[in-house]
Amino acid sequence: MTHSEMDDLYELYLLGALEFEQAAEIAEHVDRQCAYCLAQLKESSRVIELLPGLVDIKQPPAELRDRVLAIAAPPVKKSRPQWPAAFALACAASLAIAFWGLGQQNKVEELNRQRNELRGALAILSQADTKTVSFGPGQSQAQTEPQGRVFISRNGGVVFLGNRLPQLAAGKTFEFWLVPAKGTPQPAGLFKTNAQGIAVNVLAKSVNPADYAAVAVSIEPATGSKQPTTTPILIVPLA
Amino acid sequence: MPSSEDKPSDAPLIAKLKERDPEALAAAYSRYGTLTYSLIVRITRDSAVAEDLVQEVFLRLWNRIQDFDDTRGSLNVWVLAIARNMAIDYIRSSHSRFTAKTRSLDQTDFASISYKANEVDNTLDNSKAVREAFTNLNPNQRKVLELAYFEGFSQSEIALRLEEPLGTVKSWMRSALTRLRTAMQEGRSK
Repeated sequence: MTHSEMDDLYELYLLGALEFEQAAEIAEHVDRQCAYCLAQLKESSRVIELLPGLVDIKQPPAELRDRVLAIAAPPVKKSRPQWPAAFALACAASLAIAFWGLGQQNKVEELNRQRNELRGALAILSQADTKTVSFGPGQSQAQTEPQGRVFISRNGGVVFLGNRLPQLAAGKTFEFWLVPAKGTPQPAGLFKTNAQGIAVNVLAKSVNPADYAAVAVSIEPATGSKQPTTTPILIVPLA
Repeated sequence: MPSSEDKPSDAPLIAKLKERDPEALAAAYSRYGTLTYSLIVRITRDSAVAEDLVQEVFLRLWNRIQDFDDTRGSLNVWVLAIARNMAIDYIRSSHSRFTAKTRSLDQTDFASISYKANEVDNTLDNSKAVREAFTNLNPNQRKVLELAYFEGFSQSEIALRLEEPLGTVKSWMRSALTRLRTAMQEGRSK
């Protein structure tokens, strides 16, 4: 596309309303600091950024303020496992390999997704209250079963890190579930394994570990399911 | 509406947030909490979910403020972009559309290149003009804009949802944005 052909697209780009090919083309200009595109985006953003002002104002409940301010409460000091650093290295390596392994068309989007996933995971792992639960066979057992760890933080969310998950058939995905002690499992993200067989799922939302008895993974159709439609391949008790 | 001179600058607030001053988080919530909550309620239509997501938004603000370039962007845009993305991710996830492509306004440069922080208030002053323009859009123009902004749909997704030709949807979208842009420019010139 020429710049004149892009002129009608900048606002749509900021809205996220463009199709992938057009968005990727503009993103490529942005990445190389194209002065024309940056100027057009700056101007276009003035309209898009006003759109939140169109919502009807709702007063949040007073206790929400307390919940938010609890975020900044000083953490309780305790010894931290060395997992975050190792995890970061593993993810970074995975990220780099995945980047070069992808096709031209989707590599930028995939790289951004993985980068954001890594950032989200590190934010969770850096929480002082993060609880770690390991799963899988011990050293003396057969090394063919799924193995990994679940990190869960009330303030940060949940990171699932696993390997040796089964091969997925075409059109299928892994779905991560939070399993309450009573009630039905709650969907908590879709994921696949990377080229190295490592699977990562990041759920960046407040999760009180006390509210859940377990986490689980099942194989679902590629668009995911509201409830598990297959027997979970993995159930990890959190207690 | 008070003039922009009456409104607090974000710069001291950002500096305090970067120092991890808990009072700064309280100030940020006072400044943006209500609009953030309102935006998320609008997108998710669920106040309980909105409460959880507001907490997530401010958690992300707290954890990622060091990445925020306060010389290039405005805090309110960043916060609201995070809120919009989280809310859209939520509805997509709850509708089993978790893997669908979403625009990541908070994680790309174009949000932060938008304008200087001290221009924010002038921009917000224009929101009344834009709101008026929005109410004057015809139903189709309003619908496509709402589907794009509040639900994160692409134009082709909107066309499918409305069972209208893609070209028609593009035309509605273009004319809607033009009217808003014109209203904003007129608001600026007043």
